[in-house]
Amino acid sequence: MIKFASLLLIIIGLYGILSTRNVIKILVGINVMEIGINVFIIAMGFVNDGAAPILSVDNPVNVLKFVDPVAQALVLTSIVIGLGITALGLVFARKIHKKYGTYDLSETGGES
Amino acid sequence: MMINPVLLIAIPLGLAFIAVVFKKLQGWILAIGVAANAFLVFFVEKGETAIGGFKLPFAISLVLDDFSFIGVILVNVLTLAAVAVAFRKTEKYVPVILAGLAGLNGMVLTGDMFNLFVFMEITAISAYILSSEGRKPEQSFNYLVIGSIGSVLYLLGLILIYGQTGTLNMSLMAEKSALIGQAAMVLPLVLIFAGIAVEAKLLPMSGWVRGVLGNSNALTGVMFASVYSSAALMVFGRVFSQVLIPGTTAGVIIIVIALLTFAAGQVSAFRSKSLRQVLLYSSIAQSGLAAALFATGFVFPAVLVIINNAAGKMIMFSTAGNLEEKYGTDDYVGLGGAFVRNMPAGVAFTIAALSLTGLPLVFGFYAKLNVLAAYLNQGTFFVPAVVLAGTIIEGAYFIRILIKLWAPGKEGEWADADQSVGEKKIFNPAGTVVVILVTLLIILSGFLPDSVGKLVAPGGGLLGDEGPSISMTMEKGGDQ
Repeated sequence: MIKFASLLLIIIGLYGILSTRNVIKILVGINVMEIGINVFIIAMGFVNDGAAPILSVDNPVNVLKFVDPVAQALVLTSIVIGLGITALGLVFARKIHKKYGTYDLSETGGES
Repeated sequence: MMINPVLLIAIPLGLAFIAVVFKKLQGWILAIGVAANAFLVFFVEKGETAIGGFKLPFAISLVLDDFSFIGVILVNVLTLAAVAVAFRKTEKYVPVILAGLAGLNGMVLTGDMFNLFVFMEITAISAYILSSEGRKPEQSFNYLVIGSIGSVLYLLGLILIYGQTGTLNMSLMAEKSALIGQAAMVLPLVLIFAGIAVEAKLLPMSGWVRGVLGNSNALTGVMFASVYSSAALMVFGRVFSQVLIPGTTAGVIIIVIALLTFAAGQVSAFRSKSLRQVLLYSSIAQSGLAAALFATGFVFPAVLVIINNAAGKMIMFSTAGNLEEKYGTDDYVGLGGAFVRNMPAGVAFTIAALSLTGLPLVFGFYAKLNVLAAYLNQGTFFVPAVVLAGTIIEGAYFIRILIKLWAPGKEGEWADADQSVGEKKIFNPAGTVVVILVTLLIILSGFLPDSVGKLVAPGGGLLGDEGPSISMTMEKGGDQ
């Protein structure tokens, strides 16, 4: 269920990017898409009634109940990269506003 | 003495941070960084190196085999050449170029599919920042948006394959994905293709190229068209000819898209009037050709196409960027006779154009011959027909440009040197030396193609050899 919800988030984000010419809204779309993919990755490693993947003598757990720690490590990295991209996107948004006085890409003139 | 491949990533990355602190020494730091990497690349230990103290296949690994060796040579030597030709322009971008170099080396060397994503993002961020040199923030933003969509699609495809194979290690993934049904692999492969297609400049993710390369200068043009492009195509080759070999359906989709990219690139280049636009569309076309070859499994000719394109575009984009800076235009009609009193630059540009077209006596001929021979040996005639048609178009637009740049004045009239646009020197002395060296390499490798063949594929790779002569020499996981 959560996988489908996350895929829906990715599609909503993509729609957001394609349907607007406002740079800030496009950045919001990118972030929605990134949250979608992050939730999808976590959902891939999810196990019902799962336990943290730590083997210990005091608390023996069935290893089949371990959630996948790789997926969580991937998401952590992906979030950091997403943050960097958003920050850089905002810098470009600021530059666009400084140069053209607008956040609307359709008002920035020619294509090249 | 052989060194650990991680140094090729660690040295530029470390120097990038040092350059942020010591701003006054940035020029020296950049020069030392790129020169050290271009030198050390020849002394890197081959094989698979596990990073972080874990055992393979759980550790992230770096793989230096015959394939990635060519990749790191291209990346490091061309970055050195790009910096040498346009050293003055690197002033504001020293940490960015160094971090980008670390990312590019990581992309080519990594043996882990998620690590590849991380390095692609580092490279992409440095590319977004470099693209802002074009003074068109909306184009850089456009590039960032397309790149972000591509990276999300790549990640989605990768996770789908990870769900089926349970590993991110490339060699293990190659083994396990071969056991999965073709139908289940189509969607993940197409998604991963879309992700890599952004930097590799393949349709439909190449929308950023016109805005970014069309406004490039001698530094950014060479970096994007030669360095980033070569690394992205080598990654494309690694993924699609060695790790996730496409089945019939996915293979046909990728090959058709790649050939469309080649054809669209050549036609668009023919229709363009601006020198940089011709070159950027020609780059798109060459990327399409290399991608089609990789997706068919023809690794050796694909690598030759990448080398030929990288060397040719290094000369041509640096010339075009400098011409635009000196004369304020890159409309080649308005630059009539710019080469008349600039012999070294003119000859270099001409040789590069001839090599890209694939005329005899230069390296491009050997590359094109291998491309055609590979397909003809296989019994495929459609692709060679498309390649030859593209070559004719390519020849037409390059000859048109060369005539204008060598012969000022109107068509049918005697070309007089006094009618030329000017006598401004296109390259500074260092740039001239670099460009002449690259030109000599193109000519020399045209006369000694077998030596280049042996360097590219020490294990064989004869003319028209259809099998991928370059293969991953990864050991199976478990031992360190």
